[in-house]
Amino acid sequence: MKMKRAKCKSQNKFCLLRFALLLPPTLRERRRYLAFELISEREIDKRELLREIRDSVYSLYGDTGASESKMWLIEYGKNEDANGGTDRCRGVGILRCAHNKVEEVRAALACIHSASGVRLGIRVIGISGTIKGASRLTATVKNEK
Amino acid sequence: MPTFKFFDLNVHAYPETEVPVEELIRVARRYGYAGIAITNYDEVVKGKEGGQLPPSIANFAFRGIEIRAKSLSELKRRIRLYYGKVPLIVVRGGSKELNEAALKNPMVDVLAPPYGEHGKEGLTHVLVRYAAENDVAIEFNLNAIIHSRRSDRARILGKMRDILKFVRKYKAMPVITSNAHSIYDLRAPREMVALASLFGMQKEEAVHALSDIPEGILEKKWKKKREVEII
Repeated sequence: MKMKRAKCKSQNKFCLLRFALLLPPTLRERRRYLAFELISEREIDKRELLREIRDSVYSLYGDTGASESKMWLIEYGKNEDANGGTDRCRGVGILRCAHNKVEEVRAALACIHSASGVRLGIRVIGISGTIKGASRLTATVKNEK
Repeated sequence: MPTFKFFDLNVHAYPETEVPVEELIRVARRYGYAGIAITNYDEVVKGKEGGQLPPSIANFAFRGIEIRAKSLSELKRRIRLYYGKVPLIVVRGGSKELNEAALKNPMVDVLAPPYGEHGKEGLTHVLVRYAAENDVAIEFNLNAIIHSRRSDRARILGKMRDILKFVRKYKAMPVITSNAHSIYDLRAPREMVALASLFGMQKEEAVHALSDIPEGILEKKWKKKREVEII
């Protein structure tokens, strides 16, 4: 999108400058977006979950491994349509990581067993190269009954 | 990735834990399993109705038993008691003598050796050789990795790495199980494969240990051959 805008407004100096400042495609990081689903005893907020994911990655791979994985929690929310068990809460979210560290991050996610005393389990629904694709994956789970 | 039938051979449910079997099955189905084996401790199941599974779920859940014996004579007596009555006999390992007795016994299906819980006793290369001869599968309990941290986990992973080396050398059968006590302990098959890679298991190996080997154990594929040979 940005490239297109720069092209069509190539007369504009500011746009040209902006285009020059963008990272060239060859240097851009390759990322993967993991769509995940979480079941827990009670509702967990985003901050608690993020702390737990970070703890898990640091304890499994250490500081260098965590820096290589370039992990970032894009979004996380409660899945309100979830039915099923009475005392279960379900949430879905998207996590970003480096393209070659997907299995490592997956293992780290699987190692999480509780967050502030609440038992939980995480399942990766699917992996995508774009946020749009990942949100499509989460949408399939949300619509599931 | 071609579709595999994944099985989890060590799941604990009611009456040993508070989780009803139906709930575990619903979550396991959602996660993509083709079947789970409910292996409660034999002493808990004894004399209770929960030992039998309802027929409606018989094609998904298999009944097993986990034997936790303190002495050799007790172990032998209990194995003989359950052999032929339940499709799956799992023995929880302990001391070296107990592991040896379980691995020398062809009636046993799976041995669940202790990983770091009891300290030093592990499996030696001699014991794994017995396992290969008698077609006893060796369990890799991923719950131990999930529920431990730091030095404990490092010790458990180290021990698993050692055992995996012997298993590869003598071509014994590895089985990956979740040893879940609740629905929150269950993990999807792909996650199990990722966790298995932590102690050096290749992806193909891990998929094999989650699908073909457990299926063969439930069908008694290898044991049948042995029975024919004996006759």
